Amino acid sequence: MVSQFGFVLLFMIAGIFLVLLVLGIARILRPSRPNPEKNAIYESGEETEGTAHVSFNLRFYIVALIFILFDVELVLLFPWASVFGDKALFDDTKGVWAIYAGIEMFIFVFVLALGLVYAWKKGHLDWIKPSQEETNFKSPVPKELYKDINEKYA
Amino acid sequence: MYPIIVFSVSGLLMLFLGLSVNKKSLLPYNLLFMLVGLASNFLDWNAPGLYFNGMLEISNPIILVQWVLIFAAILVSGISSRQFDDTHAYPAEYYAIMQFALVGALIMVSFQNLLMLFVGLEILSVGLYVLTGSDKRNLRGNEAAIKYFLMGSFATGIFLFGVAMFYGATGSFDISSGNSVANNLLEGKMFFWLGMVFIFIGLLFKISAAPFHFWTADVYQGAPTVFSAFMATIVKTAVIFALFRLAAYSFNLEYENWSKFLVIIIGLSMVIGNVTAVFQTNFKRVLAFSSISQAGFMLLSLIGLGAQSYGNLGFYSLSYALATISAFGVFLVISSNTIVEGRPSENINVFDGLFSRNPDLAIILLISMLSLAGIPLTSGFWSKFFVLNDAAAKGYFWILILGVLMSAVSLYYYFNPIRASFKKTDLGKIEISSLSKYTLYVCAALTILFGIAPNILRSLF
Amino acid sequence: MHFLEIIKNLSLVQWAFYFLSILTLYGALGTILSKNPIHSVIYLVVTFFSISGIYIMLNAQFLAAVNVIVYAGAIMVLFLFVLMFLNLKEESTEMKTSPMLIAAVSTGLLLGLILIATIRKAEITRVNYNDFDPNTGLIETLGMVLYKNYMLPFELVSVLFLVAMSGAILLGKREKGESHF
Repeated sequence: MVSQFGFVLLFMIAGIFLVLLVLGIARILRPSRPNPEKNAIYESGEETEGTAHVSFNLRFYIVALIFILFDVELVLLFPWASVFGDKALFDDTKGVWAIYAGIEMFIFVFVLALGLVYAWKKGHLDWIKPSQEETNFKSPVPKELYKDINEKYA
Repeated sequence: MYPIIVFSVSGLLMLFLGLSVNKKSLLPYNLLFMLVGLASNFLDWNAPGLYFNGMLEISNPIILVQWVLIFAAILVSGISSRQFDDTHAYPAEYYAIMQFALVGALIMVSFQNLLMLFVGLEILSVGLYVLTGSDKRNLRGNEAAIKYFLMGSFATGIFLFGVAMFYGATGSFDISSGNSVANNLLEGKMFFWLGMVFIFIGLLFKISAAPFHFWTADVYQGAPTVFSAFMATIVKTAVIFALFRLAAYSFNLEYENWSKFLVIIIGLSMVIGNVTAVFQTNFKRVLAFSSISQAGFMLLSLIGLGAQSYGNLGFYSLSYALATISAFGVFLVISSNTIVEGRPSENINVFDGLFSRNPDLAIILLISMLSLAGIPLTSGFWSKFFVLNDAAAKGYFWILILGVLMSAVSLYYYFNPIRASFKKTDLGKIEISSLSKYTLYVCAALTILFGIAPNILRSLF
Repeated sequence: MHFLEIIKNLSLVQWAFYFLSILTLYGALGTILSKNPIHSVIYLVVTFFSISGIYIMLNAQFLAAVNVIVYAGAIMVLFLFVLMFLNLKEESTEMKTSPMLIAAVSTGLLLGLILIATIRKAEITRVNYNDFDPNTGLIETLGMVLYKNYMLPFELVSVLFLVAMSGAILLGKREKGESHF
């Protein structure tokens, strides 16, 4: 007498339980000898410096916001997908329903797509790369020397 | 119905025009779109009924209110000429958002379904949150935007909670379904009452009626002046008509219950708005507090709720819009000519010697201040007269006395700028762009016209 | 003893409901009480998940899925972004004895009291399990309502999104001479 959602719930409980079980076994078996070196944050061998909370670029936020708008739009597409081909309604209205629903969704998506085009045109989706500046620095080592070394050990 | 579609499309067009057209020619496009919207409203004339599966109601009085809204938006665009010329302004976006906000406002005066009201309210509010913070170099503007956003979304949340309760009690979002639970016993009505209270609170917040007015002064002061004018007129008109629709169609059988609590709010708005305005030195804050007291007067027509009340409210909204927009318009011209510490001065002393600097502006200011104060021969007098008359007909005499008293108090602060404008000064003449000049002329002329013959407008409703 | 009797007689559904409600409240309280804003966000995710559970119990599976996808997923990411570029370090706003806090708490408690009193008085019609339409809240039903009856609000939501998008672009653009915090 377990409903379909009951199964989902059972799976979730089993998942949580198994993870805890594995971690618990590991905890019992492993020796625990912490030292500062082990406790340090692993950053590919680099020494970490400062805090991880640094100020993000505002552009991330705009991109994330545009993403959310389209996320919500996508969510609204799901119920539409389940009804626009509804056979009973299709037969009742002699096919007008499909056209109606199609136009309805087209307007919705079109308006938002135009919004995206606007954002694109305005250049909010481009990333400003730091411009590369040429320096007037003249190296005492001639470039051919590097080239020779590169070719020699290529 | 048609202007909603027109402005949805024209807002989009405006965004794209901003990419190709130069900044200064955007205002004519904006005015063109607004006029198209105004004209498209004719198509609905004499075609009353419910549209889109009972989502919108169209009738001639509603169309008139929509005209008031669009007309006010045209006037606001008129006074905005030359305001967005500097390099940091994005007039295309501003005008586009104004048009979208107008879509929200138009929905709010013609909704038949609470879901539509919510969508309209959100479109209007989100647009205004953005416009409030649109001057990004102004710290006060940033603060105002965040304040308005937090407070406004909280109010929307309360409103939405009320809508949920309404739905729970009636099983429908249709505003006429409120009457179906009217005959229920006390127990069945609990959710309905809860919903009613929360819907009222959410909307009263948006028109800044007294206990929910805290954000008003800061937001009006921080927002760019053009958008303060937009907020003062269009938002207030849209929300008060939304409240009126709810009061008349959903909660009319509960009149006894909500009118008592609304009357207290009206009294508070009048007292707090007028008394606090006396102590302000910043002209935008003065107008903000004045708008709180005017919201109190507007709410009187909800107390009246008679056959004439809708027309009275329409008359009040238009005359208030005319007076407020001309006050903001004159102030905008003068303050952008008086730069103090790198920003346009907003102190009330910018009006010093206005009469010798530009007599036309001084007279327009005089007319608008008299109208806001409710002096006879201006439309402001009749608008106050009508709504007070309405409330008195329902037996609320003390609010009538309070209203008259508070109008007397308001004379003090409305006369401050007038006094200042007749001072002697050696400052030079003030130049004004012809578009905003004609806009202000229209406002002043209509204020006088409706002051002499109010029935021209009132008979239409 | 009466209380214990009630607990003993709870059905499985009621157990699930109370568990989810307590979890929701725990998450909500954690959101406003935790000092670290990142922890607040995590607590909020807990709240959203447990609310999704309640949606499922109300037979609104689509809403539950959307709640997880949009709120617990996307909007939480946005919240984290905001926290990241606000760059909150040690400077926590101390509100321990501020009169504002007391006022807010008492207002909130008063509001809660009024709500509880009202709902206790309200007459709640119980749904009969036998003639309950199992299709309520399913995605097809929602689609039917949304795309037939509520066509206009649906289209206008696209205008709302557009306003939000153009507004975000307008406000998010960095200016020269803009004050940085």
